[in-house]
Amino acid sequence: MNKWWWLLLIITCWTATGLAIFDLRQSQDYGDTPLPTRADRIVSLAPNLTEILFALGLEKEIVRVTLDSDYPPAAAKKPKAGTFWQPNIEAIIAARPNLIVTLGFEQQKNLAERLKRINYNCLTVNIEKVSDLYEAIEAIGAAAGKQHEANKLVTNISDNLDKLSALVGTDDKVRVLWVVQREPLRVAGRDTFVNEMIELAGGENAIGPTLHKYPPIGAEQVIVCDADVIIEPSMQQKDLKEQQKNANHYWNKFETIPAVANERVYVIPGDTVSRLGPRLYEGTETIARCLRPELFEN
Amino acid sequence: MKELLTPKKLIFRVVSGLLVLLAVMLVCSLIGAESISLKAVFNGPGTQAANPDYQIFVEFRLPRIILACLVGAALACSGVVFQALLRNPLADPYILGISSGAGLGAIIAVICGFNWTVWGRSPIAVFAFAGALGTVWLVWFIGRMAGRFHVTGLLLAGVVVNAFFSAVIMFLTSIAKSQQVYSTIFWLMGNMTEEDFLVLWIGSSCVIGGIIALFYISPQLNALSFGEEEARSMGVNIAGTQIIAFAIAAAITAVAVSLSGLIGFVGLLVPHAVRLVFGPDHRQLLPLSGIVGAIFLVIADTVARIIIAPAQLPVGVVTAILGGPFFLVLLVKYSRKVSWLK
Amino acid sequence: MSVIIDVKNLSFGYTPQKTILKDISFEIKEGTFVGIAGPNGVGKSTLLNLLCGALKPKSGTIKIDAIPIESYNWKTLAGKVAVVRQEFVPVFGFSVIETVLMARTPYFGTFGFENKRDKQIVNEALEATDTAQFASRGLGSLSGGERQRVFIARALAANSPVLLLDEPTSFLDLKHQVGIYDLLKNAQLEKGKTIVAITHDINMASQYCDEILLLGANSNYQIGQTKDVFSPEQIEKVFGVRTFVVSLGREKFFIPLGKFAKDRGQITDKHI
Repeated sequence: MNKWWWLLLIITCWTATGLAIFDLRQSQDYGDTPLPTRADRIVSLAPNLTEILFALGLEKEIVRVTLDSDYPPAAAKKPKAGTFWQPNIEAIIAARPNLIVTLGFEQQKNLAERLKRINYNCLTVNIEKVSDLYEAIEAIGAAAGKQHEANKLVTNISDNLDKLSALVGTDDKVRVLWVVQREPLRVAGRDTFVNEMIELAGGENAIGPTLHKYPPIGAEQVIVCDADVIIEPSMQQKDLKEQQKNANHYWNKFETIPAVANERVYVIPGDTVSRLGPRLYEGTETIARCLRPELFEN
Repeated sequence: MKELLTPKKLIFRVVSGLLVLLAVMLVCSLIGAESISLKAVFNGPGTQAANPDYQIFVEFRLPRIILACLVGAALACSGVVFQALLRNPLADPYILGISSGAGLGAIIAVICGFNWTVWGRSPIAVFAFAGALGTVWLVWFIGRMAGRFHVTGLLLAGVVVNAFFSAVIMFLTSIAKSQQVYSTIFWLMGNMTEEDFLVLWIGSSCVIGGIIALFYISPQLNALSFGEEEARSMGVNIAGTQIIAFAIAAAITAVAVSLSGLIGFVGLLVPHAVRLVFGPDHRQLLPLSGIVGAIFLVIADTVARIIIAPAQLPVGVVTAILGGPFFLVLLVKYSRKVSWLK
Repeated sequence: MSVIIDVKNLSFGYTPQKTILKDISFEIKEGTFVGIAGPNGVGKSTLLNLLCGALKPKSGTIKIDAIPIESYNWKTLAGKVAVVRQEFVPVFGFSVIETVLMARTPYFGTFGFENKRDKQIVNEALEATDTAQFASRGLGSLSGGERQRVFIARALAANSPVLLLDEPTSFLDLKHQVGIYDLLKNAQLEKGKTIVAITHDINMASQYCDEILLLGANSNYQIGQTKDVFSPEQIEKVFGVRTFVVSLGREKFFIPLGKFAKDRGQITDKHI
């Protein structure tokens, strides 16, 4: 038999062996993992998940967070497990967690699959809308044995939001242009949680429905959108006054739109409005203060 | 300067190389963001919570390192073959459209939002594989129109297809949702994730089988380096050799790309480095390039894992940074041997 | 002596419109040394490529050892016909001995390695072409002439009954020119090889070749014994150059005298 047939034979046997071992491992049990009565070693893989866990009173139980979990300040001191985009799976395992909370997008979904396959207790939540947030809080509360606190938190947030809605009323919606990036110009579209916050705060998005969630737009569309208010969330906490000056300077060239004409360009601290978490109400209120300052004079 | 290659010498070098590879694999599997001890690993699995060292080692370090070996070997050997077939020292495994084909496959998978998983793996890999292979055959087909195996025609077809597909990728990227775009770009930059057992096993059959098959036709590749006319007068079946070499090299590259995205420099530099030290005889060049490629990528991946821990660098960045200067040193040292630099 | 190369009504053109070779027929007997001569562009190299199977004729047949060339597989054909073309430096730096060894590729073992006999043949070929001292040097480090000898050594190592050469001595110094022709003649006489060499050197051809195939424009050709084919009239007709014959014993030499030759007047007077 010549060398090619030998090669084919060897490769076929090798592959068959692999498939056999795979089958064997599938039917094997890893042994019954005792269900934790209470999750007391928790890993959080996103900043908003960290905030939720802290809000549910689970500070002591959290063993790892991601690098970008910076609120509350105590979170920043926790040991790290990679970043939100690239969680470090070794760090997660080394912490011997009995609950891992992840978000639902591609990278983290794969990670969750891997962890579940080796019998780790993994909870995946999708937080893209306000209603998702409430569900997520409930789910996390249930998994961590804090249903009562979860209920309270949800009620707290939704009550506050209801009060705010009542305050701002449903008429006179303020047209808002939400600018996430100046160069190139990128805004938040209607299919985002930011849009929900704007609407809860008594505004409406100056941009119509778009293909992207955060579409890049041109100067023409800025003029056409006729915004009453421009809001720029800032990612840096310091020098807000400096940033406000820069923003005013930049937007001056659009003097035809009402927002610029009436000097209603606002640079606000970004962290309460860039993630959908327990500080949803604080963020929405900040927005409302920009849109309807007269309602908050007291 | 160089002595003739003998079976004994070849076996000795290959075996030594494999031993070095095993040593490197072992050392690198114990290095990482989390420190683990070999003793703890040997204590066995225990219950899930009890032995994280074992789990980290077996579930994450080892698969990742094995993957790095396979991808490194596949890319290096494929680079050797394409350089021989195209008689061009600047050829690398991606030159005939594999990179843009894989990228296109990946971004189509992401955009169409396929959510089903194949054995628990994302469809991106499958689409990337299909895209890579499909593009190679497209390039081959177009190149054939320039005459049976006209090297220049093939290269031009590769350039054209790459350019066109890159444009399509850019278009799709601009209309995609931002998160999908990020996912695809991240994937395209090359990354090592911990694959599961079956994937690694089947991947190893493809890659190792392919490399052995390429070794079988190494003497023919030697002859082909002199040109088709010359090789024909030396009794080589030109068409047969070219088709087999091309198909296998393309297949193992497609496997590598679908497992780990696009990792550059390995396929271009490792063949040259090995050629500089050991000479151009493909019977030796091929297996040794595979081994050196594996060692290189294992080390690069380890660096990528630890240098900015707990975050990770994309492996492609590390291969470029490590590969360039390393090759320069080699070139200076052995430049006397390099005839095409005259 | 059997006919080893049998060409009948051969026609060939690179494009359908232009035909370079028209209806050529000839026979080459085993163990003869045939020289192919003719001006530039008549198709000598093309003919050589057709004889080794690199090109396919438009019409007509070529038989190597009584078997049509199309029915050979490459391996067997390489065992019958070896070709030496113009030297060049390949992209990757193979050494001299590696290059010559490549001629034995069809005979390598299962895993692509040579055996003792292959090595012996290679060493003999290196000795015969006076290239043994370069054995481990890379091809790129040799001079053009030295490289040409390596390529000839490679053809010798193929150990084939027929050797086709395309201007084998064009870059060689005087010593090696004579040396290579001696070598080829020796291979013919002692090993019974059939040598077919394209050459521009009429006098070397006249000395060494048994037969000459003289190719002229428009596929006018003549093949026959050297003494019959080479005459000043024929040469002038085909090459368009006037030559003067000098006889030394049984050897005849054809000297082209240019316009500025010394004492041209005297010589031409004597030899018309």
